[in-house]
Amino acid sequence: MSIINRLKSLFTGETDKEEKDISNDVSNTSDDVQVTSSQIVNDDIVSGTKTTVPREPVEKEPESDKKDLTFKSDIESLEETAEAEEIVEEVEETPEVVEVEAPEEAEEAIEEVEETSVEEEAAEEDVEEVEEDLNKKETKRDTMTLLTDKELLNDSNRDPDFTAEFIDAGIETVKHCFQCGTCSGSCPSGRRTPYKVRQIVRKCLLGLKEEVITDDALWMCTTCYTCQERCLRSVKIVEIIKKARNIAAHAGYMAKAHKMTGVFVMNTGHGVPINDATKALRAKIGLSEIPPTTHAYPEALAEVQKICKITGFDELIGYDEATGGLKE
Amino acid sequence: MEIAYFLGCIMNNRYPGVEKATRKLFEALDIELKDMEGASCCPAPGVFGSFDEETWATIAARNLTLAEDMGADIMTECNGCFGSLFECNHILKEDDEKRAKINANLAEIGREYKGTINVKHFAQILRDDVGFEKLASLIEKPLDLNVAVHYGCHFLKPTETIGIEDQAENPSILDDLVEITGAKSVDYKDKMMCCGAGGGLRSRDLDVTTSFTKEKLDHMTEAGVDAIVNVCPFCHLQFDQGQVEVNEKYGTDFALPVFHLAQLYGLAMGLSPEELTFDAQKIDATPAIKKALGE
Repeated sequence: MSIINRLKSLFTGETDKEEKDISNDVSNTSDDVQVTSSQIVNDDIVSGTKTTVPREPVEKEPESDKKDLTFKSDIESLEETAEAEEIVEEVEETPEVVEVEAPEEAEEAIEEVEETSVEEEAAEEDVEEVEEDLNKKETKRDTMTLLTDKELLNDSNRDPDFTAEFIDAGIETVKHCFQCGTCSGSCPSGRRTPYKVRQIVRKCLLGLKEEVITDDALWMCTTCYTCQERCLRSVKIVEIIKKARNIAAHAGYMAKAHKMTGVFVMNTGHGVPINDATKALRAKIGLSEIPPTTHAYPEALAEVQKICKITGFDELIGYDEATGGLKE
Repeated sequence: MEIAYFLGCIMNNRYPGVEKATRKLFEALDIELKDMEGASCCPAPGVFGSFDEETWATIAARNLTLAEDMGADIMTECNGCFGSLFECNHILKEDDEKRAKINANLAEIGREYKGTINVKHFAQILRDDVGFEKLASLIEKPLDLNVAVHYGCHFLKPTETIGIEDQAENPSILDDLVEITGAKSVDYKDKMMCCGAGGGLRSRDLDVTTSFTKEKLDHMTEAGVDAIVNVCPFCHLQFDQGQVEVNEKYGTDFALPVFHLAQLYGLAMGLSPEELTFDAQKIDATPAIKKALGE
């Protein structure tokens, strides 16, 4: 099956109007309808994230620029289909211009139609019509995808150091993710919260640091490992989430309740310390009133407290030694 | 056989009946549980693991060195503690760089991690070191009880590193251990789902945690069970205390008593409900205990 036919099948039924318009155009043109692969999409678009870096066409005839019909948006909608990835891969493997032998079949797939012999006026009308159509579609599509022209991301949005932190921590598998979504489909938290684990993994790989660490949803993971167990690519997803949380915490994004658990451990050695009711209960059933833990051994507690100072955990959470609480 | 008994926090500081049952059970099994004097929180993976890996690993490694000094493998009956201690032990055994870094920290408190012991889960020891036959011999009166087994997350997973022989998505270890007591493990929808408490979620967003627990309780109730059995005091707390929270939030009237596996064995071995501190739990276990004992 040719690339063109496959692309065509993607849009069948959705682009009747455009099809007709372009069809007319094409029938008025010479035989040389060219499809360039260059500007279609990069893999980021297909992946369903917001990042897209449009490239310049590989081949362009300057004299026909103003007549170009650009169906960029059309191509962007590729992201809605799973098949798109395959196609794009194929297209990208073919850096040269693809010559289309059967122009009448090419219309839906055309990213740029380069014309040489059509009347300029007629072409401009067509362009207007098509653009109007695309605008309507754009509005509709906004609700379906993450892509809008305003939200296009480029390299300036990326922080390669952020991605490197995962690699340096030994989580190279972050690079193996092919965005199948098995993780999100398996995630009990994703069923009830805005936590989108597939998207977070992608953002970590792309280096979208701020988006990841400022997002409250990052903390909606219960670390149940269902995603990681089912991951087809053996990506260490929970490790990625924990690493992202470490980076978020060091950037100051910590819930007070979590800091308080840290405070309890620094004060008693336990996240859930003993209380009077349990002491009584323990004594009643013949256990030592105080368990043989840091609760019973002050020198052991001192070791835990020292560790928290050595690693800077006390400062990380804003522990106030004087009050045994949090600095405000 | 000697085992370094790691208590953790929630079990000994909230549900001491679990500790009591465990000590009695191992006494009967003639396995010495040695106290890890001065052990601390594992530490809590949801907060320490999420905030600062180095602090998490250093505190966990300190606990590991206590058992190394005793020359005994660690037993924990909490999935959270198991997750932290097993994972830290695994990392430090495998990763020389991290081991050097953590040992530099430990040196300042006069300790050194050597990598000489293993971390085991209570249920793993019962099945693999004790064996079903010996356990069955301890049962005084088989329990007549239909239970929903809750595995919890940090017990068999991640399977890549945890060496407990089973299938994480379709396991049998706990069902087998439950059925030795005479109780029947009843299958229910989404049995392997998380209780909702882990990863720091319970303290950060109780509503979301409660929603997890409600879903589990719905499915367990639909299956018509008398009680929930777990192997993690944090899951235990979530099903006990959390059940009250579910009922408050959703206007439901769930009343499924919660048993740690050790408590179930304690009951089958003839310990009283008071010794197992069922009287201190939020959800009344009396009807289930009466049914179990045929009273």
